[in-house]
Amino acid sequence: MELRNITKRFGNENDGVLAVDDCTIEVQKGEFICVVGPSGCGKSTLLTVAAGLERPTRGEVVVEGKPAGPPGPKRCVVFQKFALFPSETVAQNIKFGLQMARVDVVEQERLLREQLEIMGLEQFRNAYPSELSGGMQQRVAIARALVMRPDILLMDEPFGALDAQTRTILQEEIQRLHREQQYTVMFITHSVEEAVYLGDRVIVMTRRPGRIKEEIVLSRDAAWKQGDIEAAAEHSDFIEARRKIWALVREEIVAR
Amino acid sequence: MTQTWVVEPAHWSAKTQATLYGAASLLGLLFLWIAATSIFGWIDPRVLPSPFEIALRFADLLVDPFGGATLLGHVLGSLKRWGLGVVTAAILGVPVGVLFAWAPLFRAVVNPVFEILRYIPPFAWVPIAILWFGASTMTQAMVVFIAAFPAIVINSQLGVQQVEKILLDAARVYGAGSLRTLRRVVMPVAAPTIYTGIRIAVSNGWMALVGAELIVGKNGLGFLISQGQNNDSVSTIFVGIISIGILGLLIDTIVQRSEKILLPWRGRLDQAGGI
Amino acid sequence: MRRSMVSRAFLISLVAGVGWVLLWAWLTRAGGPVPKLFFPSPEEVFDRFLKMWTRPYLGSTLLGHISSSLSIVLAGWVLAGIVGVPLGIAMAWWRKLKWIAFPVFQLIRPVPPLAWIPLTLVWMGIGDAARITVVFIAALVPWMMNSMQSVYSVDKLLIDAGRTLGANDRQILSRVVCRTALPTLVAGARIALGNAWTTLIAAELLAATAGLGYVALNASRMLDTDVLLVAMLLIGILGALLSIMMQLATRFLAPWSIRQSRGQ
Repeated sequence: MELRNITKRFGNENDGVLAVDDCTIEVQKGEFICVVGPSGCGKSTLLTVAAGLERPTRGEVVVEGKPAGPPGPKRCVVFQKFALFPSETVAQNIKFGLQMARVDVVEQERLLREQLEIMGLEQFRNAYPSELSGGMQQRVAIARALVMRPDILLMDEPFGALDAQTRTILQEEIQRLHREQQYTVMFITHSVEEAVYLGDRVIVMTRRPGRIKEEIVLSRDAAWKQGDIEAAAEHSDFIEARRKIWALVREEIVAR
Repeated sequence: MTQTWVVEPAHWSAKTQATLYGAASLLGLLFLWIAATSIFGWIDPRVLPSPFEIALRFADLLVDPFGGATLLGHVLGSLKRWGLGVVTAAILGVPVGVLFAWAPLFRAVVNPVFEILRYIPPFAWVPIAILWFGASTMTQAMVVFIAAFPAIVINSQLGVQQVEKILLDAARVYGAGSLRTLRRVVMPVAAPTIYTGIRIAVSNGWMALVGAELIVGKNGLGFLISQGQNNDSVSTIFVGIISIGILGLLIDTIVQRSEKILLPWRGRLDQAGGI
Repeated sequence: MRRSMVSRAFLISLVAGVGWVLLWAWLTRAGGPVPKLFFPSPEEVFDRFLKMWTRPYLGSTLLGHISSSLSIVLAGWVLAGIVGVPLGIAMAWWRKLKWIAFPVFQLIRPVPPLAWIPLTLVWMGIGDAARITVVFIAALVPWMMNSMQSVYSVDKLLIDAGRTLGANDRQILSRVVCRTALPTLVAGARIALGNAWTTLIAAELLAATAGLGYVALNASRMLDTDVLLVAMLLIGILGALLSIMMQLATRFLAPWSIRQSRGQ
């Protein structure tokens, strides 16, 4: 997927807010890229534009050479606030996209069962979102996205609303999933540590109006990606990368 | 040897105390009423009959027709007219309210009419309803409809408006078109608010019905009261008033209770994830 | 973007409003599908409206009927406030009073105020007093309930905060308590006025010798549909005016309580 020269302004010419200014990002198939930046730098806006939920003021979104078009299951989104449908069970939530695509019922059930197993949700099939913990709900949201086999998975600070412990567990799971299934992922976060741990490539944005500051390429098979984030913090390359990227972000935070 | 007897005063909870005081106050009023009418005759029974008289009249009306029907006949008549008006208001009101929120163009066009109708109280429609339908069921059903319609429309609109945008985004991302988003995502989340609107409307409708029957009717609890007035039978008036009150309470309780059956996921909505 | 969207909707409503009136005029034209006896045309209504200013109808000119209706509604409403507000505050302040008085109100509440008319007619005859009483009953409950609620709404925390900042009792009463309680109180006044107006019209249909409701009913009996429409529209307009008046009062007395509604 390519985001070409994306500029997004909210409001009119004179008193609007320029959220994103001329950003270009390219994501290769199977890549896991992370976008970091100071608060309010427009990284979430970038994601909503990528998903098709907002139209860019200038620029275009291209998927495999063709214009991306309206939002759809090919570019699934995992939201920070989970966005699970509260009146539907876990199973119904996960099957939602499949039903919209009019997948055959038997096939729906098969895909559902597969996904429940992958995410460890079998025993919660018939629970309602309000009965689940935050971590569980986000798992359901991820399952809902993955079951659609999207071209690219868009994740908007997905662990921001979770407590630190759950976050660590889920980070490891995402890491494992990516290793096993080779999804293409665009991951927004404000945690530099998380970005370095998960990403093959980290993109740093400036403060508002957001532009691309720098791109850091990390090793795809880095040693630290095997364990969880706690273990990773002991590898020197990890620490080095983290320090470098944090310095970049910090520049943006304190800049005038 | 000394023994200290410690006597603990009874520590009743606030709730029990409240109930006791309430019961005492009501009973006290009842006694006052009985005293003033039956025992001491302070009040002319034509002005305020004693509770016994009213009870007698109540029993009377259960068997002997007055004003064309027994008490039960009047009750059923009232309920029938009320039901007609309220059901029509719900069937029309929910779609209109939902559309108001979902399709801004529709709202902009229909709004002028709706606002004007809203500000004309239901009873102000009685004269024109009489003109059109005479003193029949339709007249009263129309007044009930006018009383119930705005509450349903406004609450349905509110319910749809209050659905979090993020849920709409999620539905879009997962491939749901406008209509399917409405059906599967918006309506269930808006349902409790819509139901509250129906509850208010049901109650408003009942109040309006009684008034309509008072003004023009040949049957029903309101009519019963006016007949009581015409025949100088104050006890009949009271029987009517009490029946109206009891039925009103009953209706509201039933509607409230049935929400749990009709909308089982409501409790869950209040703790919906992440929002 | 928001602003232009809102004014666009307003414009459409305006145009649609004109459209509806034109539709009305067309349907009720002479020789059209809707006869005058069923529903009058806009011109007839307007005509009649102008005539009623000078020529009395059923005993008074239009102004006379309007002032009759308004005076009764305001009398009942103000009376209900005078009784209801102290009562509500007292009930919130002294628990025991609430326990005693509240059940009585709960008993009376399900009965529509209008149902009390026959009783008041028997007791007081067909004068102004009967109508004022019924309006009073209709307005009493909101005044009282909201006054009670307004006292509850004052968070003890705020009083403590005031104390620690050095305010004495009188200052606390005026600046903290009254200000916090005011919005709910004003809301109660608003609801009470709405109830009062609705009940008044109904009361006029039953037991009046003047007023807009009285005019409407008799116009319908005499098949003067244009008068009927004039009365109905005026009832609606006056109701709207009263409501707007209360909204302005809220904005004036308690501007901090007005919340911006989302996007409308």
